[in-house]
Amino acid sequence: MIALAWRNLWRQRRRSLISLFAVALVVLFAILMYSMMGSMSNAMYQDLTKEVGNIQIHKAGYRDAQDFSSGLLTNAAQVRETVAQTAPNAIVLGSLQAPALLAGEVRSRGMVIQGQDWPDAIKADFIANNLAEGKFVEGDNLTGIMLGKSLATALDVNLGDDVYVYAPGTEGYGAAAYTVEGILDFDDPNREIYAAYVSLPAIQELAAPDALSRLELHYPEIKTIEEDELIAPDVAALSAALGSDTEVEAWQQIDPNLASIVKVFMPMVVVESLIFFILAGLLVLNTVYLSTLERIREFGVIISLGAKGRQVMGMVTLESLLMCLTGAALGLAIGLSLIALGSNGFQFPGYSEEMLASMGMPSVFYLSIEPWQVLLAVGFAVLTAFFAALGPARMAANIEPAEAMRYTA
Amino acid sequence: MSLYEVKDLKKTYQLGDVKTDALRGVNLTINEGEFTAIAGPSGSGKSTLLHLIGGLDKPSSGEIYLNGKRIDQLGKQEGAAVRLSTLGFVFQAYNLIPVLTALENAAFVLELQGISKKEREAKALSALKTLEMDEFKDRRPNQLSGGQQQRVAVARALAANPKVILADEPTANLDSETGQRLIHYMKKLNQEQGVTFVFSTHDPRLLEHVNRIVRIEDGRVIGEEHPQPLAA
Repeated sequence: MIALAWRNLWRQRRRSLISLFAVALVVLFAILMYSMMGSMSNAMYQDLTKEVGNIQIHKAGYRDAQDFSSGLLTNAAQVRETVAQTAPNAIVLGSLQAPALLAGEVRSRGMVIQGQDWPDAIKADFIANNLAEGKFVEGDNLTGIMLGKSLATALDVNLGDDVYVYAPGTEGYGAAAYTVEGILDFDDPNREIYAAYVSLPAIQELAAPDALSRLELHYPEIKTIEEDELIAPDVAALSAALGSDTEVEAWQQIDPNLASIVKVFMPMVVVESLIFFILAGLLVLNTVYLSTLERIREFGVIISLGAKGRQVMGMVTLESLLMCLTGAALGLAIGLSLIALGSNGFQFPGYSEEMLASMGMPSVFYLSIEPWQVLLAVGFAVLTAFFAALGPARMAANIEPAEAMRYTA
Repeated sequence: MSLYEVKDLKKTYQLGDVKTDALRGVNLTINEGEFTAIAGPSGSGKSTLLHLIGGLDKPSSGEIYLNGKRIDQLGKQEGAAVRLSTLGFVFQAYNLIPVLTALENAAFVLELQGISKKEREAKALSALKTLEMDEFKDRRPNQLSGGQQQRVAVARALAANPKVILADEPTANLDSETGQRLIHYMKKLNQEQGVTFVFSTHDPRLLEHVNRIVRIEDGRVIGEEHPQPLAA
């Protein structure tokens, strides 16, 4: 029956090829879109976790803190020790942020100034990607500051100029002067205009001695949202070990907006692809229906010879299935080849890095696809085949043989 | 032993406002091993009678018994099962499946029966050999002459080892010599293997070889003859 179904497909070669290519195109579109969405989600995840960590530890209730100090981790050393024991594989980074007014000689700007640890891997990456001019401010440097390029322009300051920081309501000195020692360049213009970094000791001296806003745990080997599941046990273990005085957050809590967007990406694309499969299915239905109509006499003969209704339905459905599976195979072959090419990275022509970064998207996409996404596309193709064949198959099975053989006699 | 019993069979066709009585009360018995023709002019109802006893259509009234079992009231699936297990069909227009080879066409009914590929190809090949069509087993219908196609159709009917082969005007589209050859093969099957044949025909070539003729006219059986058939 498979041979019969396959040969019947090519009785009307052009019509079958059009339907087959339609299915191929939809499968190609589907897996490329799944791949793009997956890559975009993972790239946004990577950008987020690279900047602020895979896990964050805060003082409990920090989001609702009414003043600066009630949101701080004051037992930072103790927390670090617990983290080192509970999540030894993580790169741990302490960070303190303080709301402040930054002023040059002429202009000023309200923002959040920050200081943090710089573990070697994170520091090297930051310097390579973001330090545009001057030197990196870290360690015991209590007088240097790094500014985003656009922030420096907004304040009308250059390397070597002084910047005055006023941080009221904090617990340190509350005010300090720093020399601009580094200029930073970020793809995301929103990040660049608010980038002001001093060393951790400097900001603790300014705003909160020995305290931290948060601890960040970085897992550079975790690249995708799926892989992030592997560190869920660390989140649970840290929550248990640190107790109710702290909040341990995974990336979904760190950036709930991103989590919401990512959650919607794939379902949105799946629904879009389903719509295209329905459209392709209408074309397949037309092909199968016409093919069945043209062979009414032949089906009459087949039923005369003793074929049962379900056997006739099976013949028609098999033809539809073979057409869709062949189209799916073609679409997959092209799509997977393109994804393999795109896995080395590609850029959208016509989109600048700044534009993409402002939308929270990476400048380079690395395409990848999960096995379930391939199965989903093939599954949709199979469903298309079945639903497209349903009507014509029933029609063929219900043919009255004597009448059918008079049909074209 | 009677294979078929037909009692007061009637068939009326409704085409728009026009009613046509194709059969007006036919009574008939066909026994195993017969080589019987239902003969009559065009429009006499012979094909209609063949279709009804083949289960391809439902009578308006009357009864049809095949091997003692009533078949005129069977549902679609039961009717298909009876045709598959008991009947073979040969049609005027051959009706081979154009994308299948001669062997695959001959094996088609066996495939519907669920026979394994190896077994059905062996049986189909044997049937083709009987009809002297085995050397053409890999040809498709459009590569065969009319007579060759009809022989493949007979092989298709024969391969499934039916109780009776119903043949509707099997020689109508064949020239004289080809028609005679086909009649020769079918006669041989009847005489050597005891295959029952029931023909619907008005071909005098075929009527010369049958051992019973049921004459039908205007939807009624008007007579029967038991001629001395010519040797095949």
